[in-house]
Amino acid sequence: MSTTTEHEPLTAWQGEDVTVGDVLDALHGIRAKFARTDVGDDEHGHPRNCVMTLIGIAPTESDERVARHTTQLISSEHPAQAIVIREEAPLRGHHLDAWITTEAQQPGAGCPTECEIITLHVRGAAAEHLAALVDPLLVSGVPTYLWWLGTPPFGKKELADALRVCDGLVVDSARFNEPFNSFRGLSRLLKAAHHRLGLADLQWSRLRPWREMIAQFFTPVDRRHFLTGIAEVGVDYAGDGRGNRIAAALITGWMAGALGWRLRSAAAGQGGVVVAHYLASGRSVEVDFRSVQREHLTPGELGAVRIAGASRGTTFRLSVQHDPERRPPPADTVYQAMHPTEGEDDAGFELAQRRAEWHRDVLHENLGSLHHTATGDAPGESRPRPPIVLSRDRRRPDTERVLLTLIEIGEGRPLRHVQQLDRQDEVALLLDLLSTGTHDEVFNRSLAAASALIDKF
Amino acid sequence: MKVQEAPNPLAEGLHDYRVADPAVMVIFGATGDLSGRKLLPALYNLAKQRSLPAGFAVVGAAMTEMTEQSFRQLASQKIHEFSRTQPIDDRVLSSFLDMLSYVKVDFSKTEDFKALGKKLQEIDNNNHIPGNRVFYCATPPQTYQMIAVQLRASSLNTGDGWKRIVVEKPFGTDLKSARELTETLHKVFTEDSVYRIDHYLGKETVQNILAFRFANSIFEPVWNSNLIDSVQITIAEEIGIENRGSYYDRAGALRDIVQNHGLQLVTLTAMEPPLAFEANAVRDEKVKVLRSIRPLLGEEIEESTVRGQYTTGWVLGEKVEAYREEKNVASDSQTETYAALRLFIDNWRWAGVPFYIRAGKRLPKRVTEIRIQFKRPPHLTFGREAMKEVDPNAITLRIQPEEGISLKFGAKVPSAGLRIRSVTMDFQYLTSFLVEAPEAYERLLLDCMIGDPTLFTRSDEVEVAWSLIDPIEDAWRNGRPPLETYPSGTWGPPSSSTLLQSEGREWHRP
Repeated sequence: MSTTTEHEPLTAWQGEDVTVGDVLDALHGIRAKFARTDVGDDEHGHPRNCVMTLIGIAPTESDERVARHTTQLISSEHPAQAIVIREEAPLRGHHLDAWITTEAQQPGAGCPTECEIITLHVRGAAAEHLAALVDPLLVSGVPTYLWWLGTPPFGKKELADALRVCDGLVVDSARFNEPFNSFRGLSRLLKAAHHRLGLADLQWSRLRPWREMIAQFFTPVDRRHFLTGIAEVGVDYAGDGRGNRIAAALITGWMAGALGWRLRSAAAGQGGVVVAHYLASGRSVEVDFRSVQREHLTPGELGAVRIAGASRGTTFRLSVQHDPERRPPPADTVYQAMHPTEGEDDAGFELAQRRAEWHRDVLHENLGSLHHTATGDAPGESRPRPPIVLSRDRRRPDTERVLLTLIEIGEGRPLRHVQQLDRQDEVALLLDLLSTGTHDEVFNRSLAAASALIDKF
Repeated sequence: MKVQEAPNPLAEGLHDYRVADPAVMVIFGATGDLSGRKLLPALYNLAKQRSLPAGFAVVGAAMTEMTEQSFRQLASQKIHEFSRTQPIDDRVLSSFLDMLSYVKVDFSKTEDFKALGKKLQEIDNNNHIPGNRVFYCATPPQTYQMIAVQLRASSLNTGDGWKRIVVEKPFGTDLKSARELTETLHKVFTEDSVYRIDHYLGKETVQNILAFRFANSIFEPVWNSNLIDSVQITIAEEIGIENRGSYYDRAGALRDIVQNHGLQLVTLTAMEPPLAFEANAVRDEKVKVLRSIRPLLGEEIEESTVRGQYTTGWVLGEKVEAYREEKNVASDSQTETYAALRLFIDNWRWAGVPFYIRAGKRLPKRVTEIRIQFKRPPHLTFGREAMKEVDPNAITLRIQPEEGISLKFGAKVPSAGLRIRSVTMDFQYLTSFLVEAPEAYERLLLDCMIGDPTLFTRSDEVEVAWSLIDPIEDAWRNGRPPLETYPSGTWGPPSSSTLLQSEGREWHRP
C-alpha cells in the first residue's frame, strides 16, 4: 500500500517569465537530487518510475486547483508526471510562469517514488500552440494523456495542435457547456483524430456500474437468449432539455452497438420524453427516455434503466435503479405483497399494481381449476391454500452509493440485489480510465450510436 | 463442466469484468480457520467488487451446532478481522451476510447431506439459481473422500446446473494416496469439475512469470541452455512451524513446499509458450516440464539433494528454539525443515542447465525468488582486470516480498580508466503499480465460480510431481543422505553450499 498524503506538495522550483528550457533544467536538478535522497555513497540511487504524463488543461483558476489536486492524488497510485496548463490574460513581456511541485511516495516495501507536477501559466499566442510547449517536457516511452477540464474547443486548430502529441484525450461530457452541441463535437472527433489517439469521457466511466449490472443479468448461459428477446428499454434521467440526455443516449447507444440494433426513428416530445425505435434482427425494440426530478440526482444523471422482453416463452424484466426513493408501503392487499417491486420507483409501482391486479383476477377466475392442477382434487372439493405473503421488508436505507437491481423471470419471485457503487469523483474515474488506457472500441461505438440518436432530438 | 458459449456482447470492453454465475457455494468446515481467515473475507471482497451476481448464496456446513444468525455473526467478525480491504463497508457486509445460510452437517451422516440438499433446493427456487454448486472442502484432507462419497450418496453431485468441488493442498501424501484421492473424486465428479487449490498460483507475481516471459519478445530468445548457466529457486521462511507440529513432523519441507510450490515455480520458469492462456493449454505445458525432469534415483539422490533441520539460533534478532523442541514434534525427529535439490530438465531447451531448488524454515528472512543466472561473455574484451568486479548477467524474479524483477548487467564506472561494475535495473511492482493486488483466494474463488481451472492443479500434474518426490522421500527416510542440522537464522546446512560449489557455483544471497 502506498502512503497517500493529503498535504500540499512541496514546491521545488518556480520561475516567472521563464522558458521551457529553464523548466527542463530545473527538472533535471530535481530528479538528480531525488535519486540521491537518503542513499549511501556505495548504494544505487532511487530508480525513476513514471507510468504516464498527464496534461491537464484548466480554463479557470478553480479548474486548475481541481487538476492539481487530482493529479496529486493520482500520483499516489501511479507514479506520473503531471503538467497543468492555464491560459492567463496577456501581460506585456511575460509569456510563461512555471512552478514545479513534487510529491514523494514511500510504498511499504519498495523504494520511494516521486511525482512531478509542473504548472504552467501561459500568456499570449503560446497558448494556442500547446504541442510546442509540452513536447519537450514529455517523458519518453510512456503514454501522454490530455485531460481537458470544461469544454474543449472542438473543431478548432488549438485542440488539433494539442492532440498531436497525445495518446488520449479525456473529457467529461457531463461538464460541457452547451452539452448537446459539444457532445456532437466529441463524436465528430472520432473521425478526425489520428489513429493513435484514444477518446475517453468521464461520463462514460460513470456508466460502468450500470453496464456491469445490465451485463450481469445476461451473463448466465441460460439467460443469454433473453438478449434477442429485448422488447422495451426505459431510461429515466434527471433534468430537462436535450443536453441532459447524453448519459441516457450513451447507455442506449451502448446497448444498440453491442446488440446490433439499427435506429429506425426517434422523436422527442413534451416533458422530456423521447421515444426511439430500433430494428433488431427483424424485431422492433422501443426505447423510452423519461425525465424525472429527484433530489439526489444531478441533472443529466441516470435514475433508472428498465429492460423487458420475452424469449422462448419466458418473460423477463430487469430494473437497475440509482438511489431509489423510499415510499411507505401502500395499504393492504396480500396480492401486492407478492410483487414487492412496488415502492421502488414509479414504473415499478405501476408494474406491481398491474401484475397484482392481473394475478388477483386470474386467481379468482380460475380458483377451482388452479387448485385442481396443483393438488389433483376435484374442483370445488376444497379451498386452495392462501397465497404466500411476503411481508418482511428486507430493504435497507440505500444511498446514492448503491445500485438496486430487481430481476423478474417468468412468474418466479422477484429477486432484489444491492451492489455498491465505486467512488465516482474525478480522481477515481481518472484512475480507472488511465490504468486501462483510453483506447476503448466499445466507447467509440457507443458514442457513434448515441450521437446518431441525439441527432434526431 | 465449463459450458462453451458465445461471449456476452454486453460484457465486451468492461475491464476486469469477471462475474460468477448465480450459484450456491457450500463451504464444508465453514466454522474453521481457513473459512474464517480466507474464504469469507475473500467472498466479502468479491461482493464489494460487484463480482457476485444477484441470487448468489453461501451455505456454511460444519459439525458445529449453530444457528444461521450465529453463523452470520461469526462471518461478520472474521471479515472485520481478516478482510484485505478496511474499513469494512457496512452496507456491503450487510448485503453479503444476507447471502449466508448455515446447515449443521456431520460428514459421516448421509441424512445430514440430504438435509443440506433440501436447503440448496430451497435457495435455488428463491434465487433463480439453475442448480449450480461449488462444494468447497475447507476441512482436513482426510475428510475429502468422505465428503465426496456423501455428496454422491445424497445425489448432490448430479441434477441441473454445474457442480464443482474444491480441495486444498496437500493432494495426498505420496503418489499412491494422491491416486486414491483422485479415483474417489472421479467417481463423483469429472476431472474438469475438480478444482485443486494451491493458493500460490493465485498470486499476482506468480502469474506475472508467464506475463514476463510470454508478453515480451526480448526474453524468450535468451531463455534456454545456450545462454543460461543455471536457475536457482529459493523459497525461504523465517518462521518455524508455528502450531503445525503434528502435521509438519509427518510432512517435512519436501512434501510441504517442494512438491507443490517448488515444482510449480520450476514449471512456470521452464515451460514452453502455451497456445493461449487457457486452462488445458497452460497445464499441458506444465505437465510436459514435469515429465521432462530427470527423476533422481539411487546414488543420484545422495549427490543431488540436501536435507537439514534447524537447531536453536537467532532469527530477526530473536532467539528461537530448535525444531525438536517445538510443540508436537518428536524429540528425535528426523523430519527435514530444509530441502535442497538439483534437478535437470531433459529437453531441447534446458539440456544441461541445473535447476537448484531450496526451501526451508527458520532461514534468515522470508523470500521467494527465481534467479536466472546467465553464462559469462565468451571473450573478455576489456581484460580480466577491468571485469574483476563484474558478475554474470542475471534476471531475478522476486515473488515475495518486494515483488518485482531485476536485471543485473555490467556498466562502465565513470572514471578516466576502464572499469566495469555490476549494476541492477529494478522493476518493483509496488512502485510502478501503487495499487494493492487482489488476494490470491479472491482470484481463485472467482475462477472456480466462473469455471476457469487454469490456475488450479490437474490430477496428472499432481501425480507426476509425486512420482518425482516419492523416490527422494524413500531414500531420505532411509537416511540417504544423512540429515544435517543448521542453526536457525542461517541459509541451511553446509552441504547446501557444497551442492553448488562442487560445480563452481554458489547460492545467490536474496
